[in-house]
Amino acid sequence: MDEISLEAAPVLGGASLELSGNRIVERDDLAIVSIATPLGGEDALTEALRNEWPLDVPEPTRSSLSGEVRAVRTAPDQMMLIFPHATPDAEAVVQERLGGTGYTTDQTDGWIVLEVAGPDTLSALERICPLDLPSFEIGGTGRTVMEHMGAMAVRTGEDAFLLLSASSSAASFLHAVETSYRYVT
Amino acid sequence: MTQAMRIDGGMVDRSRTLSFSWNGRWMTGYHGDTLASALLANGERLVGRSFKYHRPRGIFASGSEEPNALVQLREGAAQEPNTRATTIELFEGLNAASQNHRGPLAFDLMAANDLLSPFLSAGFYYKTFMWPKAFWERLYEPLIRASAGLGRLPMQPDPDVYDHGFLHCDLLVIGAGPTGLSAALAAARSGLRVILADEDFVPGGRLNAETHEVDEQSGADWAAAVTAELAASDNARLMTRTTVYGAFDHGIYGALERRTDHLADAGGKPRQVLWRIYTRRALLSAGATERSMAFGNNDRPGVMLAGAVRTYVNRFGVAPGRKVAVFTNNDDGLRTAEDLGEKGIEVAAVIDARKGDFVMDTIGRSGIRAVRLGDGRRVEADCLAVSGGWSPNVHLTCHHRGRPVWDADVVGFVPGGELPSGMSVAGAANGTMTLAAAIREGHGAAVGIAGDLGAERSPGTPAKAADESFAAAPFWQVAGLRKRAWVDLQNDVTTKDVRQSHQEGFRSVEHLKRYTTLGMATDQGRTANVLGLALMADAAGKSIEETGTTIFRPPYTPVAIGAFAGRARGKHFRPHRLTPSHKWAEENGADFVEAGMWLRAQWFKRPGEKGWRDSVDREASRVRKSVGICDVTTLGKIDIQGRDAAEFLNRVYANAFLKLPVGKVRYGLMLREDGICYDDGTTARLSESHFVMTTTTANAVLVFRNLEFARQCLWPDLDVHLISTTDGWAQFAVAGPKSRALLSKVVDDLDLSNDAFPFMACAECSVFGGTPARLFRISFSGELAYEIAVPARYGDSMMRALMKAGEEFDAVPYGTEALGVLRIEKGHVAGNEITGQTTARMLGLRGMVSRSKDAIGLKLSERDAMNEDDGMRLAGFRPVDRSVILTAGAHFLNPGDSADMAHDQGWMTSVAYSPELGMSVGLGFLKRGTDRIGETIRAYSPVRDQDVIVEVCSPHHVDPDGVRQRG
Repeated sequence: MDEISLEAAPVLGGASLELSGNRIVERDDLAIVSIATPLGGEDALTEALRNEWPLDVPEPTRSSLSGEVRAVRTAPDQMMLIFPHATPDAEAVVQERLGGTGYTTDQTDGWIVLEVAGPDTLSALERICPLDLPSFEIGGTGRTVMEHMGAMAVRTGEDAFLLLSASSSAASFLHAVETSYRYVT
Repeated sequence: MTQAMRIDGGMVDRSRTLSFSWNGRWMTGYHGDTLASALLANGERLVGRSFKYHRPRGIFASGSEEPNALVQLREGAAQEPNTRATTIELFEGLNAASQNHRGPLAFDLMAANDLLSPFLSAGFYYKTFMWPKAFWERLYEPLIRASAGLGRLPMQPDPDVYDHGFLHCDLLVIGAGPTGLSAALAAARSGLRVILADEDFVPGGRLNAETHEVDEQSGADWAAAVTAELAASDNARLMTRTTVYGAFDHGIYGALERRTDHLADAGGKPRQVLWRIYTRRALLSAGATERSMAFGNNDRPGVMLAGAVRTYVNRFGVAPGRKVAVFTNNDDGLRTAEDLGEKGIEVAAVIDARKGDFVMDTIGRSGIRAVRLGDGRRVEADCLAVSGGWSPNVHLTCHHRGRPVWDADVVGFVPGGELPSGMSVAGAANGTMTLAAAIREGHGAAVGIAGDLGAERSPGTPAKAADESFAAAPFWQVAGLRKRAWVDLQNDVTTKDVRQSHQEGFRSVEHLKRYTTLGMATDQGRTANVLGLALMADAAGKSIEETGTTIFRPPYTPVAIGAFAGRARGKHFRPHRLTPSHKWAEENGADFVEAGMWLRAQWFKRPGEKGWRDSVDREASRVRKSVGICDVTTLGKIDIQGRDAAEFLNRVYANAFLKLPVGKVRYGLMLREDGICYDDGTTARLSESHFVMTTTTANAVLVFRNLEFARQCLWPDLDVHLISTTDGWAQFAVAGPKSRALLSKVVDDLDLSNDAFPFMACAECSVFGGTPARLFRISFSGELAYEIAVPARYGDSMMRALMKAGEEFDAVPYGTEALGVLRIEKGHVAGNEITGQTTARMLGLRGMVSRSKDAIGLKLSERDAMNEDDGMRLAGFRPVDRSVILTAGAHFLNPGDSADMAHDQGWMTSVAYSPELGMSVGLGFLKRGTDRIGETIRAYSPVRDQDVIVEVCSPHHVDPDGVRQRG
């Protein structure tokens, strides 16, 4: 079947909205790979991350950044690397650099990443996000539920966040975020 | 009418005149007015009718405690009944109408009830409407329903939008009167994150209604200055029009912010926002509410709380009357006379109960004209300002069942018992009834909290003010009362009702409340409760302390149901999860069904098909004859990795997993701790340390949570790691005899022959020239079948490509209904059978439950009761009359037995019309079912009025030997 090849499509078609000076953008250029720390393998993984990127293993509720590669702590013994990468081989690329020091799973297609920014961002997000986002330092992260959807927030700037939620409910998630901005602007 | 009662002064903006409509008449008021103050400015004394007796009623208070002035606000679908005129901010074009009357307000036909009042006393409805029985539902109930309630709902969907939100702070200050302002200022200066919430639209509380001085300026000016400082502070949030309505667990408070209620047009923004406030500490500074005293006809329009009279005069520049009499039992009431005098309003008399004077009766019809004193004197007055003392607003202190205690000095209940964790109380709410003391107490409370929380900046010093005299004496009802005297204006509870409640044995305060309805409805008895309790104590010959008090629960003031719903309405009631092929399915005639939050295609309608059965029969037939494609992305997928992953799986599945070879899939059954089955699925081994588990759609989250619990808490010594990949892979079942031929065109470089890739094989591979994929040879339909997964970003493209590649095989997409038909034909169990009440033995899966290892649920699955030989067993069922359509839920009975539980033999769990067999087939649980194949029994469904003879057979209606799926 050489005549057929598959095309990748962003979940929300590459959504990009401008709302009274605020932006909501679907970051479909980012890959996400989870890394689980093998039992007893903390040091080896820490070293591999430092040598290869270099990245620190983020503490709970924190992320670390190296260039455009961000490591976000997501669970006990688990972090996610979020980085620009277009092809569906992100997991293999990360695993190659880790050299078996961590268990990797490709999470790119499981999540929608919305980049939200603008002066009304905190006011908008307080309508749907139970986390205390104003108290987040830049780089701070948290997992929560917004409008019944599991979600993650990473503060990337004074009034900018990456919001992650399940890709299957991406349309509902975008609607929730967009509605919040519309209600406060 | 031109605001005939408007006087100088106040905080209204006279440069901004607003027009509003009251009962169809246009009037004017000013920006800064409430509807109540504007109505009074226009001389409107009669504003409503009472609940039971339809007595004329006027504005009684000036805040959310108002019992009388309930109005129907706005028009059309946006109408809201029972809104308090005293809390409605006036806006241009406001439209309000009085309620609870038939005919014009001034000539209410229902006023006849007042003449019948001797028959309508407390509990009358418990003693009447008893016979004849036939009248209960046909006459009495409609009659009572028509009379009950106050306003009228518009009976149309609410056109407004509402929202929710979440806030966090160190200190929540509830009430922005002098105490709250003083506390919030100190806390903000200390560096705490403070939220100051107040239900009014102007902060200041009583400071705006009195003539006190604070820090050598008027109280109102001081309040404005503090408000400005808080507004400029980075760490303070001032929320006006916001009622903190409830104290919940763990420092969470509920608050309702009225965002656009004061605007003629909300501009599409939420009308109200329901906030969940997370706070480390809370300070209740909600002030106090004035109450009345019991004297004859004390409910007439013109009888008003003295504090409210001062509010209208001082804050709104409105005279509630031209000649005002004052009746008080405390010094606070006396200040009313002074303030009225200052404004040039005639004070007809000051009647001080502490001197033995009292009002015996009022005279007038739709408003008072005069009062009759205890000594017989008649005093002409069109307004009577009454102060029976102040009751601290302790409501939120009761929300965790704290019980207020009587304070004889305050002559009221003050906070008592256990307060909600982290809450403290200051000011009048705490029984600190004078200004300077309240300001100091608020400040001190904030300083203490700031110290506890480690704040380091200076809180400053408390504002200076004088303490006014506060000498209250208990005085509840006048002696020798001959006329009716009201205790609870909103529920038409009179002193006689309270006495009657006592006489009839309803003596506990809780019984008093239920029997008389004292303290119910929108005002929750804010102006009535203490008076009612005092009268009950009097009737019982006990002290108020001994009599006790009812307590309060949320909400403090009414909250619209729409606000609780927030955005969750219509199609946004819950989020939707869409499969990767959703768009393709929409384009191809799919009919969707909600499965949890998922929208799944249940069938694909083709031209000429008249009903769903046509579509489903066609899809199921095509799968059996050729090949079908079904999006099964919704099944839970869990990535399991680690050195001990195989051991972990061996402990969570009832069957063995330790030795599952790489490249193989195994069907697994999970038990709960109690040995009952709760989920099934397949798990594939991709490498020594890497497995992919699938779960049922419904249990994906539950299984993940249970596995995570097992990993973290039961066996932290195992090296095993979990992450959900449900949404990450678009997965399609490709089923039917032509599935191998179809996939051979799709999959790159993988030998799909039965030898190379047999039943229950799996592989990581690629499709269509390089797209990564996973292939599993598993079958839910019983046919030769596969599931193929690609990263979800390719899902839409993959569905289109599969259909294109399948054209030569006449491939069909099939939905969940055909999926169900195929699995019922095959006898595969699903949610209808794995109900959380069934065992492996019942399901015919006893052989899967290993006896050579330990796993969750194994021990308890060995209990005798779960292993009885005559227990329920899964079996198949077919109608003897092949034309009959079976119904799920039918119960089995032996022929000749009566249809009752004693003779129940089991029940039908799943049925489907089998196009393969040309008849309706079923699965079900039957006592000793596996031993009864060939018997005929009754399938009896009284719900559907069906009683049919069915033949017991193997549950595997199609291909019982499994030849097809292994082919």
